[in-house]
Amino acid sequence: MAASQPEAIVESPIVVRLDKVSKHFVVRKEKSLKERLVNFGRSRRHREDFYALRDVGFEIPLGQTVGLVGHNGSGKSTLLKVIGGIINPNDGVVERRGRIAALLELGAGFHPDLTGRENVYLNGSVLGLSRNQVDEFFQSIVDFSEIGEFIDTQVKFYSSGMYVRLAFAVAVHVDPDILLVDEVLAVGDEPFQRKCLAKIEEFQREGRTIILVSHSSAQIASVCDRVIVLSHGRMVFDGDVEPGLEALADSFTHPAPPSSPEESA
Amino acid sequence: MTDMARSRAHRIAELPFERVESHNQGLFVSTRAPLAQIWKFRELLGLLVRRELKAKYKDSSLGFAWSFIKPLMLLLIYYFAIGQFLGAQRSIPMFGIFVFAGLVLWGLYSEILVGGTMSILQNAALIKKVSLPREIFPLASVGSAFVNFLFQVVVLAVAVIAFGQATATWDVFYSVPAVLIVLVYGTALAILLSALNVYLRDVQYLVDVAMLMLFWLSPIVYSYQMVASAIGGTWLEQVYLANPITVAVLAFQRAVWLPGPATQNGLAELGVDPSTMYPADLDIRIIVMLVVGAVLVWLSHRIFLRLQGNFAQEI
Repeated sequence: MAASQPEAIVESPIVVRLDKVSKHFVVRKEKSLKERLVNFGRSRRHREDFYALRDVGFEIPLGQTVGLVGHNGSGKSTLLKVIGGIINPNDGVVERRGRIAALLELGAGFHPDLTGRENVYLNGSVLGLSRNQVDEFFQSIVDFSEIGEFIDTQVKFYSSGMYVRLAFAVAVHVDPDILLVDEVLAVGDEPFQRKCLAKIEEFQREGRTIILVSHSSAQIASVCDRVIVLSHGRMVFDGDVEPGLEALADSFTHPAPPSSPEESA
Repeated sequence: MTDMARSRAHRIAELPFERVESHNQGLFVSTRAPLAQIWKFRELLGLLVRRELKAKYKDSSLGFAWSFIKPLMLLLIYYFAIGQFLGAQRSIPMFGIFVFAGLVLWGLYSEILVGGTMSILQNAALIKKVSLPREIFPLASVGSAFVNFLFQVVVLAVAVIAFGQATATWDVFYSVPAVLIVLVYGTALAILLSALNVYLRDVQYLVDVAMLMLFWLSPIVYSYQMVASAIGGTWLEQVYLANPITVAVLAFQRAVWLPGPATQNGLAELGVDPSTMYPADLDIRIIVMLVVGAVLVWLSHRIFLRLQGNFAQEI
């Protein structure tokens, strides 16, 4: 069961609610007009249905840090994108409220030919900040990223570390209510990773919801207070961290998909 | 629980849920919510336009000058090849201004369509990772094409004044609906084609080929009078005039080229009535084109909204 206590409803309102969400991809092998025309009659055979998510449902209250775990291809990233509104489900309902910032890929939308400064404004705007807000946070973003004088250099000349530091610095200044994190904490050198984790702890103290995808059990154990385990698109576990990580280990040893949805709690 | 966390909780508890259902919605869902989203991201739209303009010629030493060089080159080619060698000059006085007016307007249309069609694919990194109203990408292409167009209009205006062709007639205001028609149809097509191109990559090549042909279907390097004398009064002429860009180009020529004193004198010497340079019912055609265009923008936006649910996985 979810770690939230019933008496805390006013203190921690629900921010994300999923009900029987399914997502399937139709994998078409042909993309061009010629291939479609040639294969018109047989196009059924060239379609392949693939369920990335099947009947997933849960509620996440404000202030919780949830780890999404599972083997490769279990649907974690798809689930994160469905929560973030980047892809729509085929079935079911997603409800959410509050400001969402997605750290699915640091620096998405950085344009290599623009300077760091221009990209901070662009990226801030992508993540929903107004120009005035970026003006206000600008110095603090530069300080956090430790970019210094290179802020007026085109980002294509940045090292990958500088690039990621700047992108992360923008993202954490967005003031999100819900932060979606997909593996991005695995980048950067050790001091920077420590800085990221410190920032996440600060976010937790400020009562933000963090939903994070990670393959590192140690990381999950140290920051999360709830774990959702996915296997072949189904939710196989939802609850406390320790049993969750055991369920995860189980799902590795029993790779075959269960024939019926098995909600354990 | 800190104070900050508590005030956040109280703020969130008041918020309504944003509800997302499966993407197979009908064509006739509310338009207001998506439009409100676009409005919310208008600052980003401005930044994207600036990004496209800045990034385009960022490392070239001539920079923005390149956006003039192409139309000027085309002007020279058409002026000499068609105006002088093929003799279009003889029946179209002030041929240089005539061609440049058409080229500038055509350039706007073609840049919107080519840029707009590619806009979703080119911003794949953002579309796959961030939740945004995706319409802003084709709209940003329209915006950057329009800014380029404005620069070229300055060159056109300088040329008109330098050749002493500037006159104070009301006809100048025909340029406004002319540009509006191009923007409206360009926007409708850019939104539609950008979405279709995600599913069928051939669209971008089809657009390239179609633009080559459409160029010759509008009176840019030849005059409407030549068309009218060949197919005037037949159903073919009606088909020809059903092209919104043709109407836009005719209105633009009427604003920029036709009122010039040298044009008027030249036509008088040829014994040509200036009013044969555009169809008699041009005003009504402009209005109809604008109304139909507005409906098309709405329609293509609906189609876009239907298609965009799968963008992130199809790109």
